[in-house]
Amino acid sequence: MTTNKFACRLSSGLKILLILLSIAMLLLISSCKPKETPKEERYVVLSPEVAEIMAALDLTDKIVGLTAECTYPSEFASIPKVGKFGTIRKEAMLKLEPTVVFAAGLEQEAIAEELQKLNIKVVSVYPQSLEEMYAAITNIGAITGTEQRAKALNEELKASIAAIQKKAAKLAKPKVYLEIYRNPLMSVSDDSFVGTILETAGGDNIFPTLEREYARVKPEDVINAAPDIIICYSRDSIKNIVSRKGWQDIPAIKNGYIYTHKEINPDLILRAGPRITLGLNRLYDLYAAWEKDQRP
Amino acid sequence: MKALRLSLLIIAAIAIGIIYLAWGKPSGLILTQVRIPRLLLTLLTGMVLGGVGSVYQLMLSNPLAEPYILGISSGSAFGSILMGVLGLSLLMPIGGFAGAMVTMFLVWGLAGRGGGFDRSRLLIGGVITGMFFAAGISLLMYLFLKDTVVILGTLMGNLGRIFTIGEYRVFLGLAALSLALLFWLYSQSSTLDIMSGSDLYAGSVGIKVSSLRKRVFVLSSILIGITVAYAGIIGFVGLIVPHVARFYVGPSQKKVYPLSLFIGAFFLLLCDFIAQNITVLELPVGVITSAIGCPFFMWLMLKKS
Repeated sequence: MTTNKFACRLSSGLKILLILLSIAMLLLISSCKPKETPKEERYVVLSPEVAEIMAALDLTDKIVGLTAECTYPSEFASIPKVGKFGTIRKEAMLKLEPTVVFAAGLEQEAIAEELQKLNIKVVSVYPQSLEEMYAAITNIGAITGTEQRAKALNEELKASIAAIQKKAAKLAKPKVYLEIYRNPLMSVSDDSFVGTILETAGGDNIFPTLEREYARVKPEDVINAAPDIIICYSRDSIKNIVSRKGWQDIPAIKNGYIYTHKEINPDLILRAGPRITLGLNRLYDLYAAWEKDQRP
Repeated sequence: MKALRLSLLIIAAIAIGIIYLAWGKPSGLILTQVRIPRLLLTLLTGMVLGGVGSVYQLMLSNPLAEPYILGISSGSAFGSILMGVLGLSLLMPIGGFAGAMVTMFLVWGLAGRGGGFDRSRLLIGGVITGMFFAAGISLLMYLFLKDTVVILGTLMGNLGRIFTIGEYRVFLGLAALSLALLFWLYSQSSTLDIMSGSDLYAGSVGIKVSSLRKRVFVLSSILIGITVAYAGIIGFVGLIVPHVARFYVGPSQKKVYPLSLFIGAFFLLLCDFIAQNITVLELPVGVITSAIGCPFFMWLMLKKS
């Protein structure tokens, strides 16, 4: 009887052991299950400069949504737009079922936070110097699985920028004033991306330090700084700039070195993307033309 | 005592003016080409706000009335901002002025319907029109987030406009017109005093209440349109300066009005100086007017009661 009892106990113990084992086995099996094939990546890009970087990394066919400002390269025309830079239509974007959303800084920080609440992966990219741009390209490469192309793109950019810097070092640095707004008057500091670009091309930004990257400046400070070259993106006409009260003695105005978006496309120097080499070269050409005229 | 106080006030005003012009030892060019135009714009704006504020408080029998209460400022700011966000920043004063005129005719239509033009119709018509354009401004702000700077410059006051030579001539012309209109408002002081009682009484002593109210409304709208077009909306001055003036000289409009012009002009000059120099960043002048003016007014209220 006792043996019987013992056998009974043994068998129930065995049963429990068996159940436990099978659970462990199931867990093991499930963990060994081959990984799900990755879902097709669908990117929504809200920032024009990130869009340009992604196009350079051959990712255009994975982009399913853009903002209205993303106009370069021209293939972007056929990709649906989910709003403007500062006003994103959230539903239109969610409908596209993005796997990753690439956002910029500034106004888009709030949008990025909201999207994260909805469990959508958001990557914020807002480079403010060339170094940060290289890092951003590497980062985008890592996220999209295009590390090699990102590395190649960075090397290519670094080489051309080094060449420009070499030329630029020989320039007699012209003093440059970049106007982004007229009323109120606003310019850029060296902490902004475009500020570093003005300097990299061989110029000397007249407002190296401002309390913000883009800040109000006083007209009298512009007059006192006596810039040699004015780049005006405030949509004011050259005729009007020339007739501003008290500006007539500024060398750039006296000698006619005023350039607007017609002479140098703002996107080339404001966007931290692959076209920055074009922008730097264009700036260098403007500076060099000024320097040539200074020689007796 | 009275003469002493007045002369102290005048000395203070002159001192503010001199510091404003000479701060930081500007070159002669900057003094004449940048600072004096800004000084003129600031003085004119302060005068208009203080003066029209005192007239509106009397005409509408409402101590909370201010130059912006009849909606003119919102309409003007809307026109100005619309030009700004469309990239026509040169046309901003014209847009501002046009906006003021459109608003004026709208309010006129609303207030004058049914043989009215009494003060409540005018007030309600003005407030509702103002709200309508304020909604328009919010919409523009939402649609053109990138141009927030331009929009905020108009909504919080910006006296730092750069004039081209042509623009400056136009401004001087409008400033002369404004001074003439301000003088006309002064000449109506006694009549406005009488009108602040009942319309019936004013009518019985031979004042054509309705037509005078229309005229004051139209001409003050032109004044407000001009200042908002150039300097944006600057709060506090038009509401509080007339009360400060009344604290010192009593309720007679003949005295309140010129003192309001004077205090408005130099108070705004002081605020603009502070806005430019208190931090490295130039602050919107509308923020400074309230930040300094409110504690001062609280002190005045406590002292007098």
